[in-house]
Amino acid sequence: MLTRLAGGRVIDPANGRDAVGDVYIRDGRIVDAPSGGEADETHDVTGNIVLAGAIDIHSHIAGGNETLGRLMLPELRYALDVVHPGHLPQPAGAWNTFETGHLYAAMGFTTVVEPAVLPHNALQSHLELADIPIIDKAALTVLGNDDFLLNLLRGRESPDAVRDYVAWTLATSRGLGIKVINAGGAAAFKDNVRAFSLDDEVPGYGVSSRAIVKALQRAVHELGLPHPLHVHCNNLGLAGNVETALATIAAAEGLPLHLAHLQFYAYGKDGPRSFSSAAARLAEAVNSAKSVTVDVGQVMFGQTVTISSDVLRQFNARNSARPKKYVIFDGDANGGGIVPYEYRSNDFYNAVQWAAGLELFLLTNDPWRVFFTTDHPNGAPFTAYPDIFALLMDRELRTRWMATMPKEAMAVTTLPSITREYTWPEIATMTRAAPAKLLGLKDRGHLAAGGVADIAVYAPDPDKAKMFREAALVFKNGELVVRDGKVVRQSFGRAFDVRPDAERAIEHRMRDYYDQRYGLPLDFMSVPEAAIGRPDPFERVPCNT
Amino acid sequence: MVEAWVRGSAAELDAAIAEAAKLLAASRMPVITGLGTDVAGARAAITLAQRIGGIVDHMHSAALLHDLDVMRQAGMMVTTPNVARLRADLLLLVGPGLTQAWPELPERLLADGRRRVVWLCPGDAAEARALHNMVIVGRDPVELPILLAALRARCAGRPVAKTPIAANEIDALANDLTKAHFGVAVWSAAEFDELTIEMLCGLVKDLNDNTRFSGLPLAPPDNAAGVQQVSGWMTGFPMRTGFARGYWEHDPWRFDTARLIESGEADCAVWISAYGAHAPTWTRKLPLIALGADPDRKRSDVAIAVGLPRIDHAAVEYRSATGTLGAVDARQPTNRITVADVVTRISAATPKAAPC
Repeated sequence: MLTRLAGGRVIDPANGRDAVGDVYIRDGRIVDAPSGGEADETHDVTGNIVLAGAIDIHSHIAGGNETLGRLMLPELRYALDVVHPGHLPQPAGAWNTFETGHLYAAMGFTTVVEPAVLPHNALQSHLELADIPIIDKAALTVLGNDDFLLNLLRGRESPDAVRDYVAWTLATSRGLGIKVINAGGAAAFKDNVRAFSLDDEVPGYGVSSRAIVKALQRAVHELGLPHPLHVHCNNLGLAGNVETALATIAAAEGLPLHLAHLQFYAYGKDGPRSFSSAAARLAEAVNSAKSVTVDVGQVMFGQTVTISSDVLRQFNARNSARPKKYVIFDGDANGGGIVPYEYRSNDFYNAVQWAAGLELFLLTNDPWRVFFTTDHPNGAPFTAYPDIFALLMDRELRTRWMATMPKEAMAVTTLPSITREYTWPEIATMTRAAPAKLLGLKDRGHLAAGGVADIAVYAPDPDKAKMFREAALVFKNGELVVRDGKVVRQSFGRAFDVRPDAERAIEHRMRDYYDQRYGLPLDFMSVPEAAIGRPDPFERVPCNT
Repeated sequence: MVEAWVRGSAAELDAAIAEAAKLLAASRMPVITGLGTDVAGARAAITLAQRIGGIVDHMHSAALLHDLDVMRQAGMMVTTPNVARLRADLLLLVGPGLTQAWPELPERLLADGRRRVVWLCPGDAAEARALHNMVIVGRDPVELPILLAALRARCAGRPVAKTPIAANEIDALANDLTKAHFGVAVWSAAEFDELTIEMLCGLVKDLNDNTRFSGLPLAPPDNAAGVQQVSGWMTGFPMRTGFARGYWEHDPWRFDTARLIESGEADCAVWISAYGAHAPTWTRKLPLIALGADPDRKRSDVAIAVGLPRIDHAAVEYRSATGTLGAVDARQPTNRITVADVVTRISAATPKAAPC
């Protein structure tokens, strides 16, 4: 069947296209305009914007920590109803897997990456991903607080050994890439360390956080993984932590490195409360470091919950929980912390955080290297995305928001002086073309022939947030799944993974290790395809050669 | 080979499925309970509940809710059996029922002799002593709330009134707890109430102001923890959740299926017990569809014999040794039908209910 989207403004930065025209779909793929013959189905999208489906590179949507959060905060969905009254009574907090898929699709997102899958808990993460309908998914596997890697580094074993271990872990946990979360910090916390920075050493191992990041960065690069090492830096959330972020950017040393939710590291110590936005400095560093990519982790106001495998940070934040309860989970390696939090627009610190995120968006100059995230649900639930798009595209709207916030907070940021507004091609780059490139998804994020027909159509509206919240049409694999913001068909996508080459000897070594250290057979952490319970649940992404 | 019965008489599987679908379609408030099943069975059961506007509950919900109530009122600090095994220099066993809840506990946490072990109110002290060289404080589990409160006060440097346990014993223990490098408290929620668990979890939190300590709650049987996880991600809520209004609602009292059945509110039940021959605890008679290894075919309108997860068929279930969901192969594969297959077929045969 041939489907034609007729007469929309087609914006496809990956192929340099921005013009009124048609897009054709056949058998789930985008095809060139046929030389003759009629389309079987035509959608008149005159006056609308036609983009590839959006790709979210960092959103905590699945896994044991997320479900711990769900179980701990049954009231959260009701609280969020107040923030998003349009969504009463469901889906409120985008809280279960089915709502997650529907709400993402309604906004025109067709691929979302869960960025923190603990290898020992990978099966549950994949089961949860499999129950998220419509969208495609991927997992980033977390290393860097695991005894095996720390031992390799302590023993000064060769980079080959690290590489083989990374490849083996990716294959076992079916990840698309590697993430490191406060490298060494969770391990150090088990030894009662309460503060941990880039050049601190993990007790008992004598290995610095920096050494862990560098070893993983090298392994990821040498294995040819499409996605660079995804780094959650040390010292998240602390005043003055911009120095940590700057040091980590410098540590990239010209090789690919992705820094996650940079907003949470954009803090200086200036101003009357010794807390200020250092986003301008950080944006400058990002602009200069061409091998570095970042995502923002924008904060928005309202009730949310912070869910992070940075156990140390979550423990240190426990007494600021709103409401006053928290779960701290010391896992086999990383673990996690669930700390509910309400960002308030009249709170000095929260207002600075909000402004710092927007400054990063607006002061960085390359939408191919700066990605759109809230670190869902940590900065805000992903249901807040439409409002953020609106803020980026409309400086008047920002001015109105700033007017409601503490003046002394705005005074320690540069946001009031920024006039930039994001253009549609920049939005399309940041949320489509660039993430596909960053993840190695060659047939996503663009609208050229051969691409998977993941397409989002938006109807311009004076209320930009409404436009993004309720896409006019969304196609997934060429099938219409959303019309006017309502899901009309529930399909199931797949999870992307990579399978880099590794020496087979690592398998024997891992078997011995798990037997000796844990007294467990290796298969306790396996993710068999048959256990996922949906047909054809994975899609292999090739490594760079 | 499938064994199925309709009102006590052997029947073809298709006929049993059709009869089950008929009963559910006629029901105004169906409950799906027991839920002793693997992850695939739980996913199918929750999908069925969504289709028919039903309620899901587990036979061990009460125990699950003891821990859960504490978690959602106050939170807690928890860890894994692996961390307890590798890190703990002090193991604080709390209350009775631990080796029943986790039979491998002695082998996993005591056998290597690498840590000090204290057992508070074990109930059967002789059994505890036979397991391992340990300090036993208190005996009768009814003393536990007072003991924990006194310990928490003394760890925080506050005075306590006279308790059934000698003050010097409590002080010595409080001293040991604060001196531990990484202590782990182990308990089984089936054995005591929310306030006792909250006191214990509060003690653990307090200890972390200065040292490291964490908790290891032991899961009830019949994959209760695994089913709770599935419910958590599929509905956003734990057990005792219903879909009658077209969206998921959770209420531990309102959706207590045993109560709903005894009160006459529920008018059809699906009882699932694939791990063993647990029978429903309710006494009132109502249309009953029973799935189990050996279902009660006399009492049930429809009974279908299903395979035992991890014995007859491969399964994903909660594993006590790791505290995670794990995939396990069939020990002796048979062609007995799985809960997931039966429930999925019942779902397909049952019309979608309109929300009320």
